[in-house]
Amino acid sequence: MKAGKQLWRTFGPVLVAVIAALALFATPWRGLKINSQTLKEATVSLSTNVYRGEKIKDVALNDNYVPFIGSSELSRMDAMHPSVLAAKYKRGYQTLLLGGPGSQSLNHYFTIQEMSAQLRNKKVVYVISPQWFTPKGQRPDAFGYYYSALQATDWLLQAKNTKADRYAAQRLLAMPSGTSSLLIENATKKIAAGRRLSAVEKLMLTQKQVILKNEDALFSTLDLDNNWEHIKQETKKLPATDNERLLNQVAVKQAQQETTNNEFNIKDSFFKKELRGGRRLPRLKDSQVRFDYRRSPEYADFQLVLQQLAALNCQVEFVLPPINQRWVDYTGLNMTMWRQTTKKIKQQLLNQGFTNIDDLSEDGNQAYYMEDTIHIGWRGWLRMDQSVRPFLTETQAQPDYQISDYYLSPAWQQKIVK
Amino acid sequence: MPVINLQPYSSPRYFLILLLGLLPIMIGLYHGKRFRVYETIFSLVFLVLTFGGDHWQQGVALIIYIAYQFILTLAYVHYRKTRNQTGVFVGAVLLAILPLTVVKFTPFLAGGKITLGFLGISYLTFKTVQVVMEVRDGTIKDFDWKLYLHFLLFFPTISSGPIDRYRRFKKDYETIPDRSAYLEDLEKAVHYLFLGFFYKFILGYLFGTLWLPSLQHWALMQRHAFGGLGLSWALLGYMYDYSMYLFFDFAGYSLFAIAISYFMGIKTPPNFNKPFAAGNIKEFWNRWHMTLSFWFRDFIFMRFTFWFMKKRWIKNRIRISQIAYLVNFLIMGFWHGLTWYYIVYGLFHACAIIINDIWLRYKKKHQAQIPSNKFTKGFSVFLTFNVVCFSFLIFSGILDKLWFM
Amino acid sequence: MTDTEKVVSILNDLTGEDLGGKLDENIFANGLLDSMATVQLLLDLEDQFDVDVPVSEFDRNEWDTPNKIVAKVAALK
Repeated sequence: MKAGKQLWRTFGPVLVAVIAALALFATPWRGLKINSQTLKEATVSLSTNVYRGEKIKDVALNDNYVPFIGSSELSRMDAMHPSVLAAKYKRGYQTLLLGGPGSQSLNHYFTIQEMSAQLRNKKVVYVISPQWFTPKGQRPDAFGYYYSALQATDWLLQAKNTKADRYAAQRLLAMPSGTSSLLIENATKKIAAGRRLSAVEKLMLTQKQVILKNEDALFSTLDLDNNWEHIKQETKKLPATDNERLLNQVAVKQAQQETTNNEFNIKDSFFKKELRGGRRLPRLKDSQVRFDYRRSPEYADFQLVLQQLAALNCQVEFVLPPINQRWVDYTGLNMTMWRQTTKKIKQQLLNQGFTNIDDLSEDGNQAYYMEDTIHIGWRGWLRMDQSVRPFLTETQAQPDYQISDYYLSPAWQQKIVK
Repeated sequence: MPVINLQPYSSPRYFLILLLGLLPIMIGLYHGKRFRVYETIFSLVFLVLTFGGDHWQQGVALIIYIAYQFILTLAYVHYRKTRNQTGVFVGAVLLAILPLTVVKFTPFLAGGKITLGFLGISYLTFKTVQVVMEVRDGTIKDFDWKLYLHFLLFFPTISSGPIDRYRRFKKDYETIPDRSAYLEDLEKAVHYLFLGFFYKFILGYLFGTLWLPSLQHWALMQRHAFGGLGLSWALLGYMYDYSMYLFFDFAGYSLFAIAISYFMGIKTPPNFNKPFAAGNIKEFWNRWHMTLSFWFRDFIFMRFTFWFMKKRWIKNRIRISQIAYLVNFLIMGFWHGLTWYYIVYGLFHACAIIINDIWLRYKKKHQAQIPSNKFTKGFSVFLTFNVVCFSFLIFSGILDKLWFM
Repeated sequence: MTDTEKVVSILNDLTGEDLGGKLDENIFANGLLDSMATVQLLLDLEDQFDVDVPVSEFDRNEWDTPNKIVAKVAALK
């Protein structure tokens, strides 16, 4: 049987490969255990693997990690950064950093709902950037960068016929990544139309979820940015005791050393790289006069996050960061618009029972609050820590949320709060 | 019930269903028989899976398209039996290209709102035009309409090639390989299939899914860099990464199509032959997307030059070849789509190959003075690689996003 | 002149090499003949042998040595 032998030689390996692949991906297996070192690295890596995935977030939340949700400011890791403070002092919590440049409320909504089970009744710190609230809101390409099919399948399998879920479905369909898988697209269309998923669709989504969860468990710890080493280095600059006055001295010293080449109190490296050592300045003079954050679909996306956090009975500390006053003066950003924006955001929060708000939006002229143009740093981190530390270390009152779908409406999105 | 639709070579499920469906064909060929009826039904099922479900508009477009081309070709074959006027021939070619032209122009005119056509229309057009041209030349004489349909609708290659030729396909279809030859084909098929997996699902995934979005993200975030041109290190990284992605994704896809063809006893020609090892642009086009570039060489470049030289409109052979390159690559650009970056990509390659030719002529004349050693050869590969990657940066359309969006 | 001599003389003109002694040398594999030269070859054959060689007839594998070209021309006559 020479031919038979040759056939086996050709197809035997194929058979083995098929069986191995099925065993690895299509059975509910969930990969290997994550050790504490990997967890330390992953939670501060700001890697999209972590943000889009599930396993690391779940393991971290079952430990003593608190999600710090935000965007690009999270990557400003000087010595006063929340992750460095949490690593240095025994405060009983560690930080799970979620977000990066371009991630906004809609991405956060999908990433939060992925951790529903673990996040229930827990605490969350949420840094809002008024810069998200542009007339067009979420940029589709940036959304795609932080989106994963796993988020979508998780979401679809629990979606109900509510205003919020229908709205979320519509938003997902408006993004190119939401239509990249036919199964997900069709199911999302049904949710958007207020219809139920069929049993077959649920079965297929569940099967897809099994595979995606295995992929996530197997691969999400690979290729992480190593910020942990950097954080460990930064902790060495901090005083031995967790003392505000001593910390402030360190912050001022570090800030002074790092802001020498410009009059905006912007970090030297940022000024050199992003502003080309000042060569880009002339073009940016008065470039933000027309910026307007008061009317934006982002307000409704933000509402998705709020109703999700309320449904999970989370205690949330919202931070409204400052903006570099010298930079505002140079670029001509309209401060009346800025104030109306923060007022509108606060109104949306307070009216629904989100009362833990640390509003720093008027503190842009405080020395060394900002690391660059719009990103908090040094003393700004410390100022934020004054509210974050007690919030996380002390017992908080049970929240009483009254969620209103009005904040999803176009009327609210376009309303100017004076 | 969710609509059933499977995109070719996109998921493990597709491959499992495909291999199960292929089994009877393989058993048949192993025993020296081609089950034509089964093969036809099997092909139709896979066409329905690709163009059915919620892609049904595409399915309808495909049927109309095939009927149109079928009637056109049959009419031309009938005409060609008795007469042979150039005007009628040109008319037939134009009519064969017409549907593709309409499909490519509609989104442009309708502002991207309407898309006609179906997956693979550009590749089918190569086949239909080729047959019309060969009928004109008299190299296709015994036109078999059943085989023609089979050739057009051969599902492994229908969506993205490789672009086969009618006469080559016919030879394979009509001769059944003997057992030992078929066993060798199967071995090759499995090899191609797994190489395809490695290319498309591992390397293509690394370059395309894992790294490309980050690089694109960082490149777009620096849209104000370099005086507003957005030139950044991230963009450079994007250029190389995109080039690798383009190659591994497409070469992987081609390997799947070739592997499935081999299972069916059809030796679909290769599409890639180590393109990044090319020492100059001309060589690159003999190694990159080969069935496309050979098609353009045989049916556009050579015909164009043949015709110009025969009519003696321009005496200078070099000038003719330069015009032919421009025409050739410009058409290729338009074929990719009606956007400025595809057309610039075409023009860029035309210029590159013209410059390459000038250099080759210069080198031939001054052979004695120009050194040729390992170092110069290595340098030429390096230079060609970078020129090609730059052309793919244009092709990728990221510059459009960077500058105009 | 015989057919072979005629073909070789055409090829010599096009490639700039003497192929008289290399009747089985692959003229494409060695890069001796590019697409332009190939078209010129077809035109020259048409002129000198009064045969009509359509471009589609031109299958590289069947025309890749001087000997094969001679045979092809003979068949087309």
